[in-house]
Amino acid sequence: MIGTIPAIALVARREIVERIRERSLWVSTGITVAVLAGVLVLPTALGFGGATKGTVAVSGPQAASAARQAVAGQGAFDVQLTIRRVSDDAAARRLVRDGDADVAVLAGGRALFAAQGADDAVVSAVQAGSQAARGGRLPPPLPVVTEGGSSSSDRQGIAFVAVVILYGQLLGYGFWVATGVVEEKSTRVVELLLSAIRPRQLLAGKVIGIGLLGLGQLILIGLCGVIIGAASGQLDVNGDVVAAVGVVMLWFLLGFALYSCAFAVAGALVPRQEEIQAVTAPLTILILASFFLSFGALDDPSSTLARVLSLIPPSAPMVMPVRLIAGNVPAWEVVLSIALTAAAAAALIALAARVYGAAVLRTGSRVTLRAVWRAAREQEPAGRRA
Amino acid sequence: MRIVLGVLEPDAGAVRWKGRPLDAPARARFGYMPEERGLYPKMRVADQLVHFARLHGIGAADARAAAARWLERLGLGEVADRRTETLSLGNQQRAQLGAALVHDPELLVLDEPFSGLDPVGVDVLSEVLRERARAGVPVVFSSHQLELVERLCDAVAIVRAGRVVASGRVADLRARRGGRRWRIAVDGAREDWVAAVPSVLVAHVDNGAVVVELEEGADEQALLDAARRAGRVRRFAPEEPTLAQLFREVVA
Repeated sequence: MIGTIPAIALVARREIVERIRERSLWVSTGITVAVLAGVLVLPTALGFGGATKGTVAVSGPQAASAARQAVAGQGAFDVQLTIRRVSDDAAARRLVRDGDADVAVLAGGRALFAAQGADDAVVSAVQAGSQAARGGRLPPPLPVVTEGGSSSSDRQGIAFVAVVILYGQLLGYGFWVATGVVEEKSTRVVELLLSAIRPRQLLAGKVIGIGLLGLGQLILIGLCGVIIGAASGQLDVNGDVVAAVGVVMLWFLLGFALYSCAFAVAGALVPRQEEIQAVTAPLTILILASFFLSFGALDDPSSTLARVLSLIPPSAPMVMPVRLIAGNVPAWEVVLSIALTAAAAAALIALAARVYGAAVLRTGSRVTLRAVWRAAREQEPAGRRA
Repeated sequence: MRIVLGVLEPDAGAVRWKGRPLDAPARARFGYMPEERGLYPKMRVADQLVHFARLHGIGAADARAAAARWLERLGLGEVADRRTETLSLGNQQRAQLGAALVHDPELLVLDEPFSGLDPVGVDVLSEVLRERARAGVPVVFSSHQLELVERLCDAVAIVRAGRVVASGRVADLRARRGGRRWRIAVDGAREDWVAAVPSVLVAHVDNGAVVVELEEGADEQALLDAARRAGRVRRFAPEEPTLAQLFREVVA
């Protein structure tokens, strides 16, 4: 009899080999890359960019007046500035370092502190505002100190693209798991498979195989995106971009671990492909809701709602990556979020392993989760005996 | 059959193999053809057989060799690289049989293997099953094609509503049911001569002869005497029931 690891590896290998042969995988990869290229290249190519957005952090009346002057003259620089008032210079610097502001006006309007990747037009507008605020015959420009990573709007853009890709990938590959399970069930090939290997091995192989394929596709899409962005000059390929790609990979794996087993169980409950939509609807809604909730985190990565949603499992795989890319997240929150999601995934995998075997052999009509759970409990002693 | 293969849990009882309770490693040495046929529709036939062989623990190279050998044997050599769903139903059936045989199983359990096969396919399958049985592999299969069963099987069990109502070697079953039925051809006899024999329960004319069923324990010599009185006896032979007749009797 074949061992557990070789059995899982064989099932996973079949999933990968057979799906790579299908045209649909390449079509979907092509579409994603095309959309990504569109997002990266089209807006500026067509002149749709509009005013560049920027945030100015200020403390004290002189600095605030410089910022107001900058807003008054922003039209000339084709920028749109938002002013954030903070208590002192230290807080203003922090906003810039955290990526929540592009420029800070410091020392009562006598110094500027800009993020490394801040848009030149934004910095120039603030520079001009500060000169206007000091009045008179064009005083010399303020010294600009730069630090930190990309501008907040750039990071928002990357976070948006990242969460869209994550959403598509989690939903798409989750759905693939469900249809794969139903295919085996509706063609009855599962009966032949389970006469050779155990349900857990089949489930694990399927989920791992499809997950690896999803990860591979992500790497391919990430590479294409970076290459297109760099070639078109629209994307500064810096540490932020590389980190964002890494964040997306990590959270795809965590999210897939969380959702895929639920999709497998859902698939095992129905006898025909036609019923997949209905039985996976709760999962689809959960993922869709997490996706939309992540937009809130995009606007304000540090809001209480965003922080809570980025910690708890169903929404964490989409909200946490947005916060990680768009803002700054304390390390303990990242660790807690990963731990909670991994724990939830482990619990779901254990549950799925029990329920899947009982559900997948019940052909004919749709079965309820409750009936399957009962059957799984009854089978357990028999399973141990065997 | 599904219980034997571990696909279904028994409500009661146990499955034993070689005197020991059946476990998963022993099961992995079985070959199975489910009643509801199942192969991956989009997978190529040869890949499919290799996959199933490997799931049963055969190494990659051996699995490829075995798949090629069985595909050739089953007449599927030319379609080995086609997707399974593009094959005719008869050929899909052969591929299904290949999936049951490819890992050289120690026991074959086949649920209705002949249904849906064309006559050539039936011949190929019959030959394969005979050859496996000669090689010492027990073959258990279910079928409603009883003439075929009669030709192929050493022993049969007739199942009615989930219970075995008759079982044993085919010859024994026929002989046990026989002994009370006789086929008699008498030249120049009046048609109703049989009616005058007291121990005859049922009689009907079949193909120029009369087939008679006697009461239990009745002496067939009295029947022969009556026949000789009626005319010139051309034929007097025990009528053994076919398996189909046996089936009708025990299931009715």
